[in-house]
Amino acid sequence: MLKGIGGSAGYGVGRAVIISEGKPEYVSVEITDTESEIKRFEDAVRVFVEKTQGMADAMRERVGEHNAEILEGHILMLSDPFMQDEIKGMINSGNCAEAAVDSVCDMFITMFSQVDDELTKQRATDIGDIRVRLLKILTGTPDINISEVPAGTVLVAKDLTPSMTAGIVKENVAGIVTELGGKTSHSAILARALEIPAVLSVDNVLSMVSDGMVLAVDGCEGNCIIEPSDEEITEYQKKKEIYLEEKAGLKVFVGRETVTADGAKVHLYGNIGKPEDAEAVVSGDGEGVGLFRTEFLFMGADSLPSEEQQFEAYKKAAEIMNGREVIIRTLDVGGDKDIPYLGLEKEENPFLGFRAVRYCLANEESYKVQLRALLRASAYGDIKIMVPLVTGVEEIRKVKQLVGELKQELDKAGIAYNKDIQVGVMMETPAASLIADLLAGEADFFSIGTNDLTQYTMAVDRGNAKVAYLYSAYHPAVLRSMKNIIEAGNKAGIMVGMCGEAAADTLLIPLLISFGLGEYSVSASSVLSTRSTISKWSKAEADKLAEQALALSTEEEVAALLKANVK
Amino acid sequence: MVSKTVKIVNAQGLHMRPAGMFAKEMTKFESDIFLDVQGKKINAKSVMHIIAACIKCGTELTVECSGSDEQEALNQAVSLIESGLGE
Repeated sequence: MLKGIGGSAGYGVGRAVIISEGKPEYVSVEITDTESEIKRFEDAVRVFVEKTQGMADAMRERVGEHNAEILEGHILMLSDPFMQDEIKGMINSGNCAEAAVDSVCDMFITMFSQVDDELTKQRATDIGDIRVRLLKILTGTPDINISEVPAGTVLVAKDLTPSMTAGIVKENVAGIVTELGGKTSHSAILARALEIPAVLSVDNVLSMVSDGMVLAVDGCEGNCIIEPSDEEITEYQKKKEIYLEEKAGLKVFVGRETVTADGAKVHLYGNIGKPEDAEAVVSGDGEGVGLFRTEFLFMGADSLPSEEQQFEAYKKAAEIMNGREVIIRTLDVGGDKDIPYLGLEKEENPFLGFRAVRYCLANEESYKVQLRALLRASAYGDIKIMVPLVTGVEEIRKVKQLVGELKQELDKAGIAYNKDIQVGVMMETPAASLIADLLAGEADFFSIGTNDLTQYTMAVDRGNAKVAYLYSAYHPAVLRSMKNIIEAGNKAGIMVGMCGEAAADTLLIPLLISFGLGEYSVSASSVLSTRSTISKWSKAEADKLAEQALALSTEEEVAALLKANVK
Repeated sequence: MVSKTVKIVNAQGLHMRPAGMFAKEMTKFESDIFLDVQGKKINAKSVMHIIAACIKCGTELTVECSGSDEQEALNQAVSLIESGLGE
C-alpha cells in the first residue's frame, strides 16, 4: 500500500490512465527576422488567452468560481508586461520564441520555488502549466484531452495542472493519484469540488504504475493500493458504499428542525469570523449565528475601526441571517490575539492577563464605540451581545450599565435599535462556572466557550506539546463544569448555548443533551452532522450515559465509555 | 517622486487575484511605480514580481511613484490597497 495525503475524501477503484504532459520538443534556431518572431509570440499569447478564457468559462459552469479564477490567473500572469518584455528582449537578441518562453518561464519557476511560502510555491506549478501550453501553441502540438478517458479511470500524474483538470468528466473518473501537491493544491481543490477521491503526494507513483493497472484509492486516509486483491477491492467498495450512504444520509437533514430522538427541539447555529461567513452558515443550513468573533475588524486595520465600519459589518451579518439570531462577541483581544496598534504590553502570562472584557472595560471609550455599533445594527436583525472572559458579576453589570447609557444616547438622537437587546456571558473561566448561579441572575444568556473553559479548568496550554495531553473536554472536571453552567442557566430560565469545538463532538453530544444544552454553535460544515447526531439520542438514553460518565474518575475512562456508545 | 506607506489588509495578502488587479491598474499610469517591501523594491506593474514577493496581510509597504502622473498613480495605488483590492 502506498501512503500519501488525502486530498479529497471518498473511495474509488479503477484502471490507471497516466497523464504525462511534458514540455513539447522544439529545435532552437537563431532568429534574424526578430520582428516577425515577436509577432509569432504575440499571436501565440492571443491564442493562449482565448483558449484559457474558454476553459475558465467552462470551469465556472461545471465546477465553480474558484477553479475558474485559477485559470484566469494564468491570463493575468502571462499579461505581465515585465514578463512579456523579458521574452521579447530574448527574441530581439536572436532567440526563437520557444527558447525565449522556455527560459523566461524557467527564471520565474526558480524564483517562485525559492519562496518559503506554500501558496507562492504553487504559482511555480502555474507557470509550468503556462509554459507547456504556450510551447504547444508555438510548436503546434495537440492538447491532451482528459475528457475522453473511459469510465472507471484513475488519473495518475505528477501533478494535475489547472488546464488538465479543466477537462475532467466527473462520471468517468473514479479517483486521482498524484506525486506532488497538498491539501491546498489545485488538484485537491478541484477534486473536492468534483467530489472525486484523491490521494496526493504519493512518492514515485509514476515509476510504479503503468496504464491499465488497477488502483484502489482511499482519499479519506490518503492510501492507494496498486493491483489490489479481490478482498481489498471488496473492502474498498464496502467503504465506498458506507461513505456515500453517510453523505447522502446527511442530506436528509437539510431544512429539518434540530430535534432529539424524543422530539425535544434545540437550536443549531454556526460560528463565524467575518460577516460574509454568515452565507456559509445559511448554505450549511445553520439556524442562526452562535458566535461572531469580531477580532477580524480590529486585526486587519491600522487603528481602531470606526463606529461606522463596525456598524456596517454587524449589520451585514444580521441582514444575511435575515431575522435569525446573531450572537456577536465583543472584542476578545489579548492572550494569543495581539493587535499591534492597541499598544498592549508584553505580559508574562498573557492568557491570565489584560485581555478581553478586562481590556475593554479599562478602555471604556473605545468599548462604547463597539457597543454603540452593535446597538445600531440591532435594528436590522436579532443581534445579541456576548461578553468574553467574564469572571465576576461586576463585569457583566458594568457592560449592561454602558449599554443602558448608550441606549439613552441613541434615544435622544432618535436612532433606531432593539430595545430588548440581550447581553450574555461567554462562560469560559472556572470562576464564571463556579458562580454560574450568580451570573445567571445578571446575564440574558450563557454560551459556553469550551476551548478556553477546558484550558483554564485544566490549567494547561494546549500549544505546549508536553502537557497538551491534559487538554480534553472529557475530563471529569470539565464535564462537571459544563453541567454546572447549563443547569444554573436552565434554573434561571435563560438560554444556555455552547460555541466551542465540543458542541459538534459526536461523543460529547449525548452528555450535552442530558445536561440540557439549548443551543449548539458549530462550524458551518458541521451543522448537518451535528443535527444528525442530536437526532439519534433521546433524553432518557442520554441521561443514562451521562450518569455512567459522571461516575467515572478519569478522562481516559470517560473517553472510552463515550467511544463505546457512539451512535 | 512621491511616496506613502500603507498596510496590506487582505486576509490572504497579495495573492494572485488582488496582485493581478493591482498590477493591471498600475500599468494605466505612465509613472514608474515601485513597492518598497522591507527594503526590497518591487515593480508594481508586474504581477509576477508582486506574487513572488509573497506580501502577507499586515505587511507595511511604501508605494513610490515617479513620473508625469505620479500623484494620481500614488492616490490610486494607496486607495486600492487600503480598500483591500476588491476582497
